[in-house]
Amino acid sequence: MNWRPRSSLALLTLALGAAAAGWVRGEVYQEADAFVAEVFGTVPAPKVLWLTKDIQAQAAAILGHPPAQLRQRYWSDAHKSVWILEEIGKEELITAGFVVADGRIDHVRVLVYRESRGQEVRYPSFLKQFKGAKLAQGARLDREIDGIAGATLSVGAMERMARLALFFDRMSRQ
Amino acid sequence: MLFFLILAVTGLILNHGAGLGLDGRYVHAGWLARWYGIQSEPPREAFRSGHHVLVAANGRWLLDGRISGERLPQPVGLIELAGIFVVASETALYVFREDGELIEKLGPGMLPGVPVRAIGSSVRSIVLRTASGVFTSADALSWRPSAQRSVLWSAPAELSVAQRQAYEEALTPGIPVQQLLLDLHSGRFAGRYGPVFVDLLALLLAAVSVTGAWLFLVPRLHRGRH
Repeated sequence: MNWRPRSSLALLTLALGAAAAGWVRGEVYQEADAFVAEVFGTVPAPKVLWLTKDIQAQAAAILGHPPAQLRQRYWSDAHKSVWILEEIGKEELITAGFVVADGRIDHVRVLVYRESRGQEVRYPSFLKQFKGAKLAQGARLDREIDGIAGATLSVGAMERMARLALFFDRMSRQ
Repeated sequence: MLFFLILAVTGLILNHGAGLGLDGRYVHAGWLARWYGIQSEPPREAFRSGHHVLVAANGRWLLDGRISGERLPQPVGLIELAGIFVVASETALYVFREDGELIEKLGPGMLPGVPVRAIGSSVRSIVLRTASGVFTSADALSWRPSAQRSVLWSAPAELSVAQRQAYEEALTPGIPVQQLLLDLHSGRFAGRYGPVFVDLLALLLAAVSVTGAWLFLVPRLHRGRH
């Protein structure tokens, strides 16, 4: 029976089995609560932004698909808000933390990366492009984000999440 | 002819897979999973709470009769509270609205402790038994240690053989569409010698192209000289 497509499937079976068993958490660079604590000094009580139909529609326009959940938790003070967002790069979710201060991205960090390629999006040399970015016309960023060869989809996911964080921050302050 | 058609079509689709929205899509068929040698794991138990039922296997959930997800973790319990129900796995909590729409997924950094060993309910609150202790929350936002004794813990119910077979069919593991197309395109779908066959086809196609061009051009070159 060695004529079956075994080599590629051994990997596929392993990936499916591992994911189902819950051992594949990807590369965890920082836990969400540690990221929040780093921003505020301690972990404040989370707040919740409920995604009304209108917010869902605008979030869907940013993401290119409907948001996965009906409420989004965040942490904030008078100037800053922190958003932990997830978006699929190619096949797996990327978890990233976004700090928004006065309507602009203050800093970004990739917290968990699960894709097999494209980890370069976690490097500061890439992430620093987001610093100071704000929402422009059509819920786009006010600047172009340079891509990374071989990580096009992950770069796209990071940009969509940055736009979503800025949009959610705006909604949370209305 | 058919092989060339398969090569051309799969190649075209692969080139535009992202644009066609094929990323993250799966094909579910028992015969395909068997062909790929993937062992389908039959579900052994179900979680029930109120009128909600959850059966899980192969990374997929059958929640109130609706299939969801491809790489979901094995649940450890299901509870129902007023207007919501909550599914717990070892590392995440999924809070659903009564109609099955996901309100929020809570990952490890948002839980009071991991792994979650059990989920229960008590006086309109969610109760989690974790490796770090027992915690309770009314809104799944803030958690506090709990010493409540009257907790109704979620426990799985064994499935009958007939139920297992029926659910296994519904929860057949999937093959990523991109993987399937890639295997068809490269010939790996046919096994070890598939790529060799595709290589031979490619050489044949190259030979046909070269000889075709030769037959077309050479008589014209000769005519031009005379």
